[in-house]
Order: sequence, then structure tokens, then C-alpha cells
Amino acid sequence: MYFVLVSVLACLASCHCFIERDEKKENHCGLLQHWIESTLVSMQIIKKGFHREVETTVELSPDVHSGVRVLLLHRWPRGVYVDPYQLASLSDLNDWKILLDSTIDLEGPAHKTTGFVTFVYPTPDGPTPTLLKVTIPIHGRYHEPSFVAETFTSVEIEPPELLLWTEKCIPLNNVEPHDVMEAPCTHHNSSSCQWVKQQHQKKERGPVNVQFPVVKLYSSYSGVDYRVPLDASSQFTVIFSPYFCSA
Amino acid sequence: MSFSRLPSLYDWPLVAYGDYQDKTMVVKFTDIDYHVFTDAARFITEGQSPYNRSTYRYTPLLAWLLTPNIYLSMVFGKILFIVCDVLSGLLIYKILLLKGLGTEAALRVCSLWLLNPLPIGVSSRGNAESILAALVLGTLLCMEARHLMWGAILYGLSVHMKIYPVTYALPIALSLRTTETRSEDKKGMKSLMRFIRSFLNRELFLFASVAAGVFCVLTALFYYMYGWEFLHETYLYHLTRRDIRHNFSPYFYMLYLTADSGWSQWLGLAAFLPQLILLLVASWAFHSDLSFCCFLHTAIFVSFNKVCTSQYFLWYLCLLPLVIPHLSLSLKQGVGLLILWFAGQGLWLGPAYFLEFEGYNTFLWIWLAGLLFLIINSFILIQIVSHYKPTQTPQRLKVE
Repeated sequence: MYFVLVSVLACLASCHCFIERDEKKENHCGLLQHWIESTLVSMQIIKKGFHREVETTVELSPDVHSGVRVLLLHRWPRGVYVDPYQLASLSDLNDWKILLDSTIDLEGPAHKTTGFVTFVYPTPDGPTPTLLKVTIPIHGRYHEPSFVAETFTSVEIEPPELLLWTEKCIPLNNVEPHDVMEAPCTHHNSSSCQWVKQQHQKKERGPVNVQFPVVKLYSSYSGVDYRVPLDASSQFTVIFSPYFCSA
Repeated sequence: MSFSRLPSLYDWPLVAYGDYQDKTMVVKFTDIDYHVFTDAARFITEGQSPYNRSTYRYTPLLAWLLTPNIYLSMVFGKILFIVCDVLSGLLIYKILLLKGLGTEAALRVCSLWLLNPLPIGVSSRGNAESILAALVLGTLLCMEARHLMWGAILYGLSVHMKIYPVTYALPIALSLRTTETRSEDKKGMKSLMRFIRSFLNRELFLFASVAAGVFCVLTALFYYMYGWEFLHETYLYHLTRRDIRHNFSPYFYMLYLTADSGWSQWLGLAAFLPQLILLLVASWAFHSDLSFCCFLHTAIFVSFNKVCTSQYFLWYLCLLPLVIPHLSLSLKQGVGLLILWFAGQGLWLGPAYFLEFEGYNTFLWIWLAGLLFLIINSFILIQIVSHYKPTQTPQRLKVE
């Protein structure tokens, strides 16, 4: 009799534990969903010329728990590249860590290279602050000579995708409409985790266009063309057409 | 006068300052090349190939030499380069003495190298050009003192480290051949045969075999260790290099425009022609004074090359002190040419800065500045050649 009573009590207790754990998990997953929806990601590109800096700011919800990891996924076009050696020397000075998905060709022109992906971990260790700022130095590649009048080529840089992970919501489910994505857990790339990807990104700005100078080829004799346009990023060009035919 | 005391006034403080700037400022003092060498040396200490370091395009010997950068201190390499700078100064002094210049005059000319901010700056920033300067000057000293065996060893080593000393082979061969008494016999075939036979002598054979031997042994050793990658990165890359990115050479513009055309490879090879022709002419005209000939060779090679960066200037600047005592240029003329040379570089650096750091499209201006710089270099070389006096006892510097 007592034995039956004790076993029923034990069963009820463990069931309660499981339910509580499930409830807690659902709570955390719900919170995660809430955090990812309320996080703001903004990007701006500073400096001029072939050497720029991409500044990404992440504003997390103030109620974000510690133990939540943030991952910024940049999909870079082939018109730019990052210098892994420069990044390695910077990583000693910064608190963010970066992981590249492939080897970077430091010298190739744009049309002979491909885009690449970087995984940026703004706070690999320690508690997650609500405001994160990451500045990545990028460099422009030389582009194919232009056959049209334009002497600048445009490279579109998308803002990064925001991914969040917490150990308290494993495995990830019920995070619709956000996607679940596999990505390295840390910049050491020793294991893979499931991250929640922000779906409808609350971006303060859309993709940013970066302009790089490019040589111009002419297919016919042309006269002097003196133009001084002013574009949104306050660059101005003086175009002087040489009197020669293209190769 | 102690040689070691002179550079210490500038070099060591500069190295210390460089370290400080690297740690505190965004614009680094140390050249990117130094980091490339150090990274390659690190790969070697881990038992890997130095060519795992992207853009390492030098002999593995350099990375091996810099392994103390990893084991001892990062600054070891810079110290080595500075020591080679001082050694180059000493070698210049000894060569000038051998050529008959007085001690005082030799010291004065020597100080043009030792107190020159350009080699000091280059070495303290971590470029390895001074190693090659020391090797080339060592070769010339041995040739001047007729220690052919040592000259050949150093020459083989120089060519292994960088390709450009291979151009010295022709003037060295011309200077080592048997000088025959002038014959009245002008018959084409016979004089040609005599000319060819003049190359077949013991000294030239010894030099050629030792130099080639050293080069082949080093090449074979590193090929065995690192394979095809060593051959490609150390030699073939430099021979087939068509750098479309802006540099002092006006060729960059042509190479950029024709990079994807089917003719680009032929254009790259064709660009060797002006260099080759000028080198042949210079060898024939001036092989009797090996130092002057080598200086001309290097200056022509660098000025007419498809790629030209400021590091290359050191290749001929280290030989300039050997040439100066033979020039009948006045101090005013010499300084004028120097200012012209710097002005040419300044005119290029302006648009290059605006292209790279401000984003203006100044490609055309950079190309024009490159052409102007080539014209200036040619003018300077013409002035040097026309004021060259191949006397036994070199004249002292004329001061107006």
C-alpha cells in the first residue's frame, strides 16, 4: 500500500518536474522569440576610398538574459574582401571574434573571385550587453574596366543577419515565423549549434551601396567630357576622357 | 671611425619608436611585408610550409632566417636588416678603397648610404632589401678583389634570393673573359669565333659553375622540402606577374585594361623587350667597370619593369655610392637630379593617395605620373652615363 503510494507520488513528482522543465523551456523559447523580434540591427559604412569600415550596431531588448549568444552573419559580395591577417591582429584589441567561411584571395580582381560569409561573435565570453558595436575593416577589389561612361562601380553590401542562441531553449522549436539555422557555436568552429534567425529584420537602413573607382575603356573617339556630379555620399568626380581607342 | 656607432644614432631609436607606434596607433609603422615574413616563419616553426602564408613570395631561406622572430623576439628580423645595412656600408667602403679612392673620400661617400634615411627607414620598417644589398655588394667586393670563388658563392645566393641579380651575369661574364690584344683582322666569322672563344677560360668557368652550383643546390633543397609551390611563388610568379593594381610603373594601366584580353600574356612578355635591349647595350658599353655596370643594370631593370614599388629603389641606391666618385657632376647638379627624382615620386603619390584613401578616380593621373617618373628616371640615367668618367683614380666630388 505504502509502496504504491510512494511510487505514485514519485511519478507525479517527476511528471511535474518534466512539465515544469517543459514550461520553463517554452518560456525561454518564447522569450527568445520576443528578443529576436525586438532587436534592432543597423549598419553604416564609414571612411572613403578602397579601405572602408562596416560598423554594425545591435540593440538588444533590455530584458535579455545573460547566456544568450549573438551571431552576426554577413554575406559579402565579391567586390570587397577582408584581410584575415588584419583581422587576426585586430582581434587582440577587440572583444568581438570573427570566423571566415573560406580562404580569401587578397589580390584577385572582383570578377575573378566570389563572395564569402563571415560569422561575427560580438561577445564570445562573458555577459551580453544590450548595445553591441562591431567595426569590420573591408577593402575594395579592382573591378573589370568599364565600357560605359561610369567611372565608378557600385557594390551592394547587405546588413548582417542577426542570430540568437540560448542553451535554455534546446532543441529549438516553436519559433515561427523565424527560421532555425545551423551555424558554428563559437569562432573556434569546433561544433555546430542551432540558431534562431531574425526573420523580418528591423533595419534602420536597407543595403548600402559602396562605390569604387574603375578604369574606363572607350570604343570610339570621344571628346572632352567634364562632369561634376554630386551623389548621396558626397563624392565628386572629374572625368577627363582621353583621346585614345580601347584595346 | 667605427661603423657600428653611426647607424645606432638612428636605427635603434627608430625600431623602438616603430614598436610603440604599432601598439598605439591605427597607422602602423611596420611594413605589411614584415608580418608576412613573420607569419611564414611561424608556419616553419610549426613544421609547415611558409607558403601557407598568403602573399609570401620569397625564398624559404628568408623565413628560416627569421624563425628567431618567433623563438626570441619579433624585433629580431629588423635588427638583422639593420646589421645588413651597416654591413653594406662597410662593403661600400672597402670597394671604394680597392678602386683607389682615399680613406676620407671613401668615408664621405659611404655616409651617403649609412646616414641616408631611405635605407634606414626601409630596414627599420621591416623590409628585407638590405640582405640582398649586402649580398650584391659582397659579390662586387669579391670580384674587385679577384676572389672569384667567394664572389660566385655570394652571387649564386643573391640570385636565389631575388631574380634581378641574374642580369649581372652578362657584365660579369664580359669582365671575366680573356681580353685579347686588338687584332687588325676584322673578318666577321673569325672575330666572332674569337669573341666566343674569349668566354672559354678557367676563371669564367669556375665562376659560372660555382654560382650555378650554389643556385641549383638551394633550389633542389627547397624544391624537395616545399615542392612546386616554392618554384612558383619564389620565381615563376615574379616572371609572369601582371599586377593590375596601381604602382610606379606606367605598365599597370595597360595591364589593367588588357587583363582579360587574349593578348595579355604576350603583352606581359613584350614588356621585357625594352629592359632586355637596354641591359644588353649597357653590359657591352660598361662591363669594364663592374660596379657602374651593375648600377646601370639595376636602375634600368627597376625603371622599365612592369611593376615598380619604392622598395625596389634600394636595389640600385646601394650601388650608387660606388658610382658617385666616377661622376663629373657638380654638387648642384647632383642635388638637382635628386630633387627631380623625389618630385617624380611626389607627383605620383598625390593621385595615388586620392585614389586609395579618398575614392576619387585618379587612374589616368596616376598613369601619367608613372610615365613622367619613367621619363625622369631615364633623364637621370642619361645624365649619369654622360657624366661618367672611367678613370683609374676616381675624381673627388666637385663642390661648387
